[in-house]
Amino acid sequence: MNKPLVELKGITKYFAKVIANKNVSFSVNDGEVLALLGENGAGKSTIMKILYGLYKEDEGQIFMNGEHKHISSPKDAMALGITMIQQHFSLVPAHTVTENIILGNVKGRIDWKAYEQKIGELAQSYGFDIDPTARIKDLPVGLQQKVEILKALYLDAHLLIMDEPTAVLTPQEASKLMGFVKEFTDQGHSVIFITHKLKEVMEVADRIIVMRDGEVHGDVKREDTDELELSRLMIGRDLKPPKKSEDAGGKDRKVVLSVENLSVIGSDDVPKLTDVSFDIREGEILGIAGVSGNGQQEICEAIIGAIPSKSGRISLAGEDLSEQNIRERLETGIGYLPADRFRDGMIMDMSLAENMLLKESFGDKWLKRGFLDHGRLRRYTEDIIKDYEVKAPGAGAMAKGLSGGNQQKVVVAREVGSGGKFIIFNQPTRGLDLGAINHVHKTILAERDKGKSILLVSTELSEIFALSDRIAVVYKGKIQGIFDHNDLTIEKIGLLMAGYNDDKGVQA
Amino acid sequence: MINLLARALMMSTPLLYGSIAEVYAERTGMMVTAIEGIFLMGAWGGFVVTYLTGNLFWGVMTAMLVGVLTAALYGWITVYLKQHQVVTGVAINTLVLGLSAFFMRVIFGIPITPLTIDPLPHIHIPVLSKIPVLGVILFQQNILTYIVYLIIPLSYFVLYKTSVGLIIRSTGENPEAVDVAGLPVERIRFLVVLLAGALGGVAGSFYSIGFLGLFTTNIIGGRGWIAFAICFLGNWNPRGAFFGALIFGLAEAVGIYIQSSGVELLPNELFIALPYILTIVLTVARRSFNVPAKLGIPYKKEN
Repeated sequence: MNKPLVELKGITKYFAKVIANKNVSFSVNDGEVLALLGENGAGKSTIMKILYGLYKEDEGQIFMNGEHKHISSPKDAMALGITMIQQHFSLVPAHTVTENIILGNVKGRIDWKAYEQKIGELAQSYGFDIDPTARIKDLPVGLQQKVEILKALYLDAHLLIMDEPTAVLTPQEASKLMGFVKEFTDQGHSVIFITHKLKEVMEVADRIIVMRDGEVHGDVKREDTDELELSRLMIGRDLKPPKKSEDAGGKDRKVVLSVENLSVIGSDDVPKLTDVSFDIREGEILGIAGVSGNGQQEICEAIIGAIPSKSGRISLAGEDLSEQNIRERLETGIGYLPADRFRDGMIMDMSLAENMLLKESFGDKWLKRGFLDHGRLRRYTEDIIKDYEVKAPGAGAMAKGLSGGNQQKVVVAREVGSGGKFIIFNQPTRGLDLGAINHVHKTILAERDKGKSILLVSTELSEIFALSDRIAVVYKGKIQGIFDHNDLTIEKIGLLMAGYNDDKGVQA
Repeated sequence: MINLLARALMMSTPLLYGSIAEVYAERTGMMVTAIEGIFLMGAWGGFVVTYLTGNLFWGVMTAMLVGVLTAALYGWITVYLKQHQVVTGVAINTLVLGLSAFFMRVIFGIPITPLTIDPLPHIHIPVLSKIPVLGVILFQQNILTYIVYLIIPLSYFVLYKTSVGLIIRSTGENPEAVDVAGLPVERIRFLVVLLAGALGGVAGSFYSIGFLGLFTTNIIGGRGWIAFAICFLGNWNPRGAFFGALIFGLAEAVGIYIQSSGVELLPNELFIALPYILTIVLTVARRSFNVPAKLGIPYKKEN
């Protein structure tokens, strides 16, 4: 039998004292698509960054075609024909496609014309519609990913590692990417595909390595397995997805949040939202689907008043919010879970109790005779920790000491507490593991069943479909349409997300 | 008038060295906030060695060396120890202010009359200096000005037409991309800071041995900061730095000219302050900047 292309033997990696990879061994063969499946934090990216030379292993060895290799920098990896596309692309936004592709791969004087032509031809040979002189910041994410792939092709990569490549793509773009992966491996090359999505794995992989808690928990051929087995290997236990109760009288319930003709202009004078209108009724979840960066953030921030709107009206339970500032709006009973909890949701150097207090620090809710009532705040936080199954030593624990999932539970609890009538969940499960996702989903549905109105923004279509009563699709700051969740297919929503509309074709 | 323009070009020379130094460094994401101190060390080192050896060449070389040493201290603290660039720069500027005064005392005691040297001679380039008007302005300058004529196009070429330039520009925009391409971000930044130190040291020496022929601890008087501002105003490119430095050089020359002409239209202090006022006005007036995206942010890699 032939020697495998790459073989990892007993790789162990520590970050400070935390173990990220523990005795990881697996191999990838020529012409093979290998899926590296696991939850966030399972150590998938770490092991691949070791193979690519970005991290240095603490123990273990790497073999290529049976030979022991030392890879101490991406330069070494590239010389061996290995390239890796990072989850967050490593492109220079202000530079052109050509500048990005040849960075680090040229010496001395650069003949721009010649390189631009060479890269243009390479792009064409793979059917990529990319202008070598275009600046990265002007390209949509899907094309940026193609630039990354082009970079790998330019280097004549034999093994291409892709870290969560479909996270930023529409379903159609994702299936095109799968097409490319097959074409690439048909030429005898190999691909390692990092993902946490079971569907993708079943669609594209020849073999699957399942990782959990830094260790390999399964090495199976696709034809010998199914999604159920994979999810069990990945999580280590069975998971029951929350069940949504169907709601009969939704249409007759009263409107809680009403957004009419909302338009927002960005600081660069570019319209961010154009004529956005929707209603959310009592006990209803409106899902907003779309590729990241199509106005979702602006919708949320305009509703709570964090960014000014150029025109339009926002009202909550009949009360016009348009002239109110953020604090007044929040006091009417809006909860807001921001997409980026590090930036907008928590103060990592403060305790959980202090984080619970954050948004109400100006009111007198937590005051006793003019001073903070620390005892009551602590008891309240301890209750939250219990109710939400937050893994934390106590209310006094620093937020930064918790895992992402547990931090998110704390923010969710706070916003559920302060959102008496209406809660915005912006990307509530991004970066969480399946257990935490399950918990957050249950919480969202429970709040809906209590009669609260919910705006759910998510780029994960499965999440949108599982939770929403109605679904709005955004593209370039416009609403492409609002649909009952039963009336949309993945196919149709994908087209809408990419800017196609039944009668109008591509939206400008 | 011709003399005024020749003087303006002379006064812009050190600002050009300084702002080009900043252009290189800031393109990799490093604000060299120690530039004022690097200027001062250059002025000091250049003067001391020229005075002791009587050799202007060794003076300029020493200025370059102490500039590099000061920059190395700054680079070590900001690049490798990842400390805040503004705080570090301010600390170093304050430190060298004391150091230069201290070592002047140690070496020369307290002289009764100010120590002076003969500054760099003006070199009349054969033929070219005979061109009417332009010859006097452009080709009757000292050697440092002639060198800077070459540095500007050279810098433009390096930054935009070579692989080194591409790496420098990419490092300030997205160091992660540079890292993933297998290039050492920290070493790139440190080396470019050293280069900035060399250029800044020469700039500083221009004030002491380039035309004044003496050294005082306030000889730089904020001109390092002006070079720093020119880099911003010039949009981080050599051409912008060139025009920016010319404007400030002219402002300085006009200030000196009016002071010495004896005409008292306005208080003298106003003209001394002219470059500084101009800095504020232009910084506020300039609307759009192409700031390198990671300017001032240390590169931290988990490992």
